[in-house]
Amino acid sequence: MSSSAVQSRTIAAQIGQSEKRPSSNDWLLKAIRVVFIVALLLFALFPIIWVISASFNPSGSMSSQTLIPQNVESIGDLFTNYNRLFNDPQVPFWRWVGNSLFISGLTSIIIVLVAALSAYAFSRFRFRFRRNLLLGIFLVQVFPNILAMVAIYLMVLQLGKYVPALGLNTYGGLIMIYIGGGMALNIWLMKGFFDTVPREIDESAMVDGASTSQIYWQLIFPLVRPVLAVVGLLSFSGTLGDFLLARVLITDRENWTLMVGLYSFVEGRFSDDWGVFAAGALLAAIPIVALYLFLQRYIVSGLTAGAVKG
Amino acid sequence: MAAIVGQAENFGGFSAPAPKWSIALQWLLLLVVDAFGIFLAVSIGQDGNWFFAIAIILTLLLINVVTLVPRLWPLKWVSPALALMIILSVYPLLYTLYIAFTNYSDGHRFTKVEAVELLGERRYLPEGGTAYRWLVFQNEAGDYALWLTDDAGESFFARPNTALEAVTPNDSGSAPYNEDGVPASINGYTLLEGGARFRAINDIQDLTFGDAGNAVGIQSPQAAGVFEQQWVYDSATDTLTDRATNTVYSANNVTGEFVAPDGNTAPIGFWVTVGFDNFARIVSTTLSQGPLLRVVLWTIAFALIGTLSSFGLGLVSALVLNGSSFGMRLLRTLMIIPYAVPGLVSVLVWRGMLNANIGVIPTTMESLFGWAPPFSTDPGWAKFAILLVNLWFAAPYFMLIASGALQSISSDVYEAADVDGASRWTQFWRITLPLVLVSLGPLLIASIIFNFNNFFLMEALFGGGPPMAGTSAPPVGHTDNLISYTYRLAFAAGGTKDYGLASALGVIIFVIVGALTLLQFRLTRTWEQVSENV
Repeated sequence: MSSSAVQSRTIAAQIGQSEKRPSSNDWLLKAIRVVFIVALLLFALFPIIWVISASFNPSGSMSSQTLIPQNVESIGDLFTNYNRLFNDPQVPFWRWVGNSLFISGLTSIIIVLVAALSAYAFSRFRFRFRRNLLLGIFLVQVFPNILAMVAIYLMVLQLGKYVPALGLNTYGGLIMIYIGGGMALNIWLMKGFFDTVPREIDESAMVDGASTSQIYWQLIFPLVRPVLAVVGLLSFSGTLGDFLLARVLITDRENWTLMVGLYSFVEGRFSDDWGVFAAGALLAAIPIVALYLFLQRYIVSGLTAGAVKG
Repeated sequence: MAAIVGQAENFGGFSAPAPKWSIALQWLLLLVVDAFGIFLAVSIGQDGNWFFAIAIILTLLLINVVTLVPRLWPLKWVSPALALMIILSVYPLLYTLYIAFTNYSDGHRFTKVEAVELLGERRYLPEGGTAYRWLVFQNEAGDYALWLTDDAGESFFARPNTALEAVTPNDSGSAPYNEDGVPASINGYTLLEGGARFRAINDIQDLTFGDAGNAVGIQSPQAAGVFEQQWVYDSATDTLTDRATNTVYSANNVTGEFVAPDGNTAPIGFWVTVGFDNFARIVSTTLSQGPLLRVVLWTIAFALIGTLSSFGLGLVSALVLNGSSFGMRLLRTLMIIPYAVPGLVSVLVWRGMLNANIGVIPTTMESLFGWAPPFSTDPGWAKFAILLVNLWFAAPYFMLIASGALQSISSDVYEAADVDGASRWTQFWRITLPLVLVSLGPLLIASIIFNFNNFFLMEALFGGGPPMAGTSAPPVGHTDNLISYTYRLAFAAGGTKDYGLASALGVIIFVIVGALTLLQFRLTRTWEQVSENV
């Protein structure tokens, strides 16, 4: 949007404002608005404040929790739950974090590299069945792979017989399934981004005698790298958030992902482990929340390009 | 359009040829992929999993054709993603369709070939077979071995998974020998006698000694015998004989069982295709007002109410928090936090806060009003809690996108409305809402689809509970939706796992989701983008 358009819009808004007569009705509306905002903030933020408070509650149990932790005699008391989280051999927290980072990291890197190739081809080249392929990919993307869970489980079981690294209870098997599941959505997302890169760039390079792969790797790829990084980060946090596939395909406690590990607190004595769970949940959520807030702008455009959080 | 296509064709024609090293690399890669793929397909085919083997072969064919036919060069760019999707997404979908027409479940987990093979590995100790008297030895590592003497007086030393070794009394091993000529120690093993021998029986009664052809196990404190194959399959008559009881089980290829004349079935069944049985069961249980009908109704209700309520709150929040001042931007950012928290984490936090008796929400309400809703035990309140939690993390999402949509509405429209004397209220209903709906309509449908399949909310908040009366193995809950019900059928601990039925439900969900997606397609320009977009 040009700056003059912005200007005229703000002027118009100002005119609209000055024309309004202040009345009791306006005052009421304002009051309602303030009440609504306060209620909204309370609803949105209370659970988060409550979890932060729970993570610092020295007794760690649900029934003894108060908003401001009680019985705190030293700074160390505040970190009772964190100490247990880091030192309890039954809770290999950092191991789970490492597993999650490795699995999600490798998954998103492979997805981005492979999907970007396809997205570029769909965006730039014209070939037979292009439309059918795009439609097919779109359809594949809408079916959640939870529905094919049984088939996926059997497939991983089968593959593991001959390729142990891709079997049950391996990172390889889980990563493989994540890659397959995330491919379609990311091709669509990235095709949208490639479409916004002017074709003139490709064409001028072509006139200079560059091959298509040279154009892609030396011109386009560096150009869209920031966008690819954003897509990769989104797919990273999506993979990190999954727990169903990880729960079905990974059996050993040591190999669990962070989400499966956090879920295990619920299955045990949840009300006693509440504080430890809160500490773990907080540590898991903070980087992802930071990522989302940091990338807010990109996420909005990514979302409206046809993606849903899932 | 035609001009664009013409231009695009030139695009390929003009580009310079790929360098030689790149072609060589492609060939090498292709060879590796082919070798690996053929190895996999052959191995998996030999196990009787034809579908998987065929899927691998087809994918290999695709990769080879695309790589070797120069005319298909654009597809080369697409083929890695396509190959991964065919094997990892499309094949599981189609295989699910196949499982839906089988009785694959606990008790029918193997193909007939595998079932016969597995039963064939079972051994039993026949009465009156080769009999031995036995003595037991143990080495430092705790492994056991037997000294066996048969009726003819021949003696053998037997270790697990090793062929029997003929030994000579009073000669093999080292002295002292007992009255039967058995040594006190042999090959590092020491003879166990008296109480030690008696205690060892507990450990060795389930062990077999010797190799597969001559597997010996102990039958009593004195006697040992040779194990024999218990189940023998006769392909000519398609029957299975239990040699322990001399019962003949004939294969029933319709139900996937081996049935004896007295109606008993062999311990391992096999899976067979059962036509539309699973679907018929789903339809009949739905029609008979069973739990499935309630699950279906709740699934639809949640998808619609959950989406519309969070859209409503999100839109109102966006209107109220609209503006570019620092304060409003800060408030909007704060509001986004619930959406950014990983879904599972936030559901679990709410689960703790709603915990009966000690969660913060029930206890606070108890102390304020003297009464708290029984969130986890009352079906109505449980559903309310689900919708509330959904509102918590879905409303910020809609606020986020509605803000964008609001900002894109031109102020001219409102000016014109002001000139015409329309009130703010009228402006909202006649201008804002329709325009927002037009741009967010497709996302609303996408969200309905997502909520239709919202598994983790149902599973993680109350585990589908509270359970419906009269359902067990697996228990169905009042907050179970179709997909969590499907999951319970297939993976619930303790229940009988009915993969066939679960897959049939999965297929039905596919169809519903597919129909909704086509609807979305009609509403969006997605399809036009596919055909027109550069």
